[in-house]
Amino acid sequence: MIVLRMLLYSIITLVILVLVILLGQKGAWYFAWVLGTVMMVLIAAAGAALLDTQEESGRKQ
Amino acid sequence: MELYALLKVIWWLILGVLLAGLAVMVGMDMGIGAALRYFGRTDGERRAVLNMIGPHWDGNQVWFILGGGAVFAAWPMIYATAFSGLYVVMLLLLWSMIVRPLGFEYRSKLPSPVWRSTWDWGLCVSGLLPMVIFGAAIGNMLLGVPFHFNWRLESWYTGSFISLFNPFAILCGLMSLSLALYQGSAMVMNRGEGAVRTRASALGAVSGIMALVLFTAGGLWVARLPGYVVTAGDDPSGPAMPLHKTVAVTAGAWLHNFTAHPVLWLVPALTYVSVLAGTWALRRGWSHVAWWLGAAGWIGTIGTVGAAMFPFMMPSSSNPSQSLTVWDASSSQTTLLWMLGWTVVFVPIILTYTSWAFWVMRGKVTPERVEGDDHAY
Amino acid sequence: MHDLDAVLALSRWQFAVTALYHFLFVPLTLGMTFLLAAMETVYVTTGRQIYRDMAQFWGKLFGINFALGVATGLTMEFQFGTNWSQYSSFVGDVFGAPLAIEGLMAFFLESTFVGLMFFGWDRMSRGKHLLVTYMVALGSNLSALWILIGNGFMQSPHGAVFDPATMRMELTSFSNLIFNHDAQAKFVHTSIAGYVTAAVFVAGISGWYMLHRRHMELAKRSFRMAVLFGVFASVGVISLGDALGFIDGTREPAKLVAMEAMWHTEQPPVAFNLIAFPSQKQQRNLYALRIPGLLTPLVTRTMDTVIPGADEVEKQAMERMRNGIPAVLALKTLSADPSDSGALAEFRKHQKDMGYALLLERYAPDLAAATPHDFRKAARDVIPDVAIVFWSFRVMVVAGFALLFYLGVATVCSLNNRVQDRRWLLKIAPWFIPVPYLACEAGWLVAEMGRQPWTVYGLLPTWLSVSTQSVGSMVFSLTGFVLIYSVFIVVEMYLMLKFIRRGPDNHVAAPLAH
Repeated sequence: MIVLRMLLYSIITLVILVLVILLGQKGAWYFAWVLGTVMMVLIAAAGAALLDTQEESGRKQ
Repeated sequence: MELYALLKVIWWLILGVLLAGLAVMVGMDMGIGAALRYFGRTDGERRAVLNMIGPHWDGNQVWFILGGGAVFAAWPMIYATAFSGLYVVMLLLLWSMIVRPLGFEYRSKLPSPVWRSTWDWGLCVSGLLPMVIFGAAIGNMLLGVPFHFNWRLESWYTGSFISLFNPFAILCGLMSLSLALYQGSAMVMNRGEGAVRTRASALGAVSGIMALVLFTAGGLWVARLPGYVVTAGDDPSGPAMPLHKTVAVTAGAWLHNFTAHPVLWLVPALTYVSVLAGTWALRRGWSHVAWWLGAAGWIGTIGTVGAAMFPFMMPSSSNPSQSLTVWDASSSQTTLLWMLGWTVVFVPIILTYTSWAFWVMRGKVTPERVEGDDHAY
Repeated sequence: MHDLDAVLALSRWQFAVTALYHFLFVPLTLGMTFLLAAMETVYVTTGRQIYRDMAQFWGKLFGINFALGVATGLTMEFQFGTNWSQYSSFVGDVFGAPLAIEGLMAFFLESTFVGLMFFGWDRMSRGKHLLVTYMVALGSNLSALWILIGNGFMQSPHGAVFDPATMRMELTSFSNLIFNHDAQAKFVHTSIAGYVTAAVFVAGISGWYMLHRRHMELAKRSFRMAVLFGVFASVGVISLGDALGFIDGTREPAKLVAMEAMWHTEQPPVAFNLIAFPSQKQQRNLYALRIPGLLTPLVTRTMDTVIPGADEVEKQAMERMRNGIPAVLALKTLSADPSDSGALAEFRKHQKDMGYALLLERYAPDLAAATPHDFRKAARDVIPDVAIVFWSFRVMVVAGFALLFYLGVATVCSLNNRVQDRRWLLKIAPWFIPVPYLACEAGWLVAEMGRQPWTVYGLLPTWLSVSTQSVGSMVFSLTGFVLIYSVFIVVEMYLMLKFIRRGPDNHVAAPLAH
């Protein structure tokens, strides 16, 4: 379950990352900043939520 | 009136508004800082007083930063000439002002009485000195400052540091300090209780009266001062170039605008009426009313100086024809127009969220409440 | 007494010292605000108290840092006027605008809401407080945006033209000013460099807590959030740094010369100087370790574009000086008589090279009588201090990749939820805290030292930007800054370390001791 979720997160991240770099080459940097910042904040938040899940499933085992 | 000339006048008015914002908001915080050791006798009382403006001092200080930025954007030559000419004074102002953020943030972080007392003195100096310097700077503008330009508009200041602290400038400095103490007292009464409130009421009344006395003395003095008059050149819609006009210096010329347009007397009258009424309101305990009347008093004071000097902004005492005026020291039309757009959009937004911030933090601040609050200064 | 060389040198030192000092506090603010917002987002969405504790504890450290950022930022606003007044009146019409908008749009937002963020925890709903925190983050980053738009204009002036009637640059296109490529890339690069700084700061302290088995729950979560936030940010910093290098390389060839220590124009593809010991005097590298054929594709994205070396840049500069002289002479005539149409026509013809003639004027005050010797001296000035720029650039790049590697490893360890057992990682984490700071400062050295001898590239030389101060005033102010700033940093570090050691359990302001 956790592995699946992590995989999902990584795929989303990779797609956005590639998008950001492509946009960066195109020169739409302000837009890339908005997108990138939102992404980083959300990923950090998702990472914390994931940790909570990991801890809980660890405790159950 | 052509668009460019109109924009210059609008920006002159906006500068007045920003100066008033700075005087009211920063003046209030600095008045509180300057008299912190008087308002609060015990550490608990002092923390209570500091926390009355704790959530707001940083936002208020932006009025000062924005004032500087607006002068840079709309009146670049004045920014360049004033800041470089008054070098040592500007540094004293800066150094006293940069102690303030640390004073607020660091003072209550450690329990040591020596530590706290040191920061209290720091806050006192960083409230007192800047207010005196602001006033003295305005005073020196009325007197004229010794500077001139070379052919490529490089400015040269030829006066000394000490000459900026002349009796008239000091009088203006004390006047500005008095109004700041008044405004700070009104705020402390708004948010304080008991002994703190009583002390604030006493100080507020004294400083209100002081401000009026100094305002009167300054007015009588200005009537005799040599004022500046443009005698040729200086087209209101011309390019911003201060080298091609002639200016005469005549005693009493700072009253010419008032004799030409008697309606302008209402501006100094505003100061008298509001500060008098405000002082009375303070004694009655209506501190909220007194706070707004103090703000009106500031508007009257700054407006009086502006009305007397128009169109002059920074007269040169050593080469009057190179004085900087509304017509020849501004930015280009494009910049003034763009900046007006940004101002019209953002100032209402700023006023909205600033009001919201004061509303959220409304209510009395007492030593007990500060002790119990994790986040207090 | 007005001694230009001394005043110029002291003014540059003062600006450099105060700007680099200011930037010790800015990056953490830029990144920490978003990290706080992320923590609080988790608190609001999950309702778990620990995230509120996290936001409050890191907020406390943020506050200690923030106060000094605000204080030292004031200095920067003053200094354009006090020490660089010629610059201020020359570009005030253009440069003043972003500074004022910074106040209107960013500082008010950041400063008004930061008070509510600290004081408003119990005064409003969770959602509202979260919004307040986001406003602080947005405000602090928007202020970076506007000041970097100003800096972008200095690096690559677009959207303004010199007007002889007012003797200054005047704004012609606001959108060109804002969407300047240099400004765009530099903003994103700087802003997310701040994210990395904050991430490494939080991860370092959390690592230290975990190493000592303190505040485990808080530290584990903070570490996870920080490294995830940081690893993406460091990818972004490197990608944008590359874009920025590309822009600067095409628009500021002299900066590229200094960054890569390229004294001579060579047949493409040119070798990349991995390590070099440049000698400015001899105009060559005393020693260089080179990777053949790498530089040309790296900076031009092609294999056959010629990259001008110092020799070529100097030659072109001399040509432009010669062509610019009539513009300055005509300008002097115009200053006395703005209606002289002959002088105006002459000025327009040579206008584009005026800046280079101004560069020459330092050595030849009477431009009409400039000697070949003066030309050579002025041309030498066109190349920035190569050793400083070359090495700062390398420090920044190495630091950037080291951080990416560290954050990548840390992310993997954290995602496995094994980070608390990786003692080696926890041990090195605090030692990484200074690295992003080093990279940020080095980056500014590259940007600003690399732009010399100009304040506005190609238009206004640094020597003509400085105020007409006396040496005495300059010594006074520089001494004052050094004294005050030294006290400040000691106080700040003391408080920061004290509050880090104390940790999150006890963050109540203590009552007065008796």
